[in-house]
Amino acid sequence: MNKSSIVIVAALALAVGFALSWFVASNKPVALESGTWFGDQARALPEFELLDHNKQPLTRASLEGKWNLIFFGYTHCPDICPASLQTLSEMMGSIEDPDVTGALRVYFVSVDPERDRPEVLSEYVRYFDPAFIGATAEMDRLKPLTRSLGIAHQIRNRVEGNPVYDVDHSSAIVLVNPQAEFAGLFGAPQDAMAMARDMTRIVEYN
Amino acid sequence: MRRCFLLLLFLAPVSAFAELDISDAWIKNLPAAVPVRAGYMTIHNPQSHAVSIVALRSESFASVELHRRLMQDGMMRMEAVPDLTVNPGETVQLAPGGLHLMLMQPVEPTRPGELHRIVIEFDDGSQQGLEMTVRK
Repeated sequence: MNKSSIVIVAALALAVGFALSWFVASNKPVALESGTWFGDQARALPEFELLDHNKQPLTRASLEGKWNLIFFGYTHCPDICPASLQTLSEMMGSIEDPDVTGALRVYFVSVDPERDRPEVLSEYVRYFDPAFIGATAEMDRLKPLTRSLGIAHQIRNRVEGNPVYDVDHSSAIVLVNPQAEFAGLFGAPQDAMAMARDMTRIVEYN
Repeated sequence: MRRCFLLLLFLAPVSAFAELDISDAWIKNLPAAVPVRAGYMTIHNPQSHAVSIVALRSESFASVELHRRLMQDGMMRMEAVPDLTVNPGETVQLAPGGLHLMLMQPVEPTRPGELHRIVIEFDDGSQQGLEMTVRK
């Protein structure tokens, strides 16, 4: 093999390598104005099984095929959770392109499974947007998912028999791509219009 | 006339000392399945002395507390605020994501547009009533 053919083979290998890394990396780089994007180095979610507000299983496979925005909270939270869900509802309402809204799904995952039964979740999420999906699971089923997304939560001041207690939780909105990989984060306080522009950019660009 | 007088008598204990200027007082509505609501308002103290809110109550809710949202260990946490002092000339905002009223266990499901009466108690024993509007 002469010197020039070695150069050609090396160049080809390099090109294939780049093409492969482009293909393996789930999404293209996108600059966001209100969130943090790591879709080009997206991380697969672990397997999980929650129960949605219609008492149907919600698994990793359920997230495939759409861009998913997931907020973790609890219904007995009157201040920050309604504000975030309202923002998500306004975000959906302000996106004019039906191809973009059709590619998005919004989830509210309760980290207070004891009080947030499916009936409560159903009434709660539909109050903000009939298309929103509420879900939860017992703590041991919930933890692997929240841990993999860096969402911290804990129940505090719990006294046996007393229905009043506190739930602390991260307030970021998690972005999961159509391959069910963790692709981005929108930290609180979220801005509906900025998120609408960011999600439009993500869906149109990828 | 007599009815009017009786009405005045009824209102007198809570409105005689309007210590604070309170505006834009509203309650964020939530579906009936959720037994808590948050309340917001702007409180201004026009007095030449500090005014301390030590308790809140309402006939529409089992209990009313002042709460503050704070960030700890990367998590949002709610903390009860036992009293709130508003200094002379100071304006305090109760707004989403910060200081707010926690209105627990509505006697009846709340509806947007309704008015709910809240009574604020001060450290000198005086009281002030106000109406809060329920908003979607």
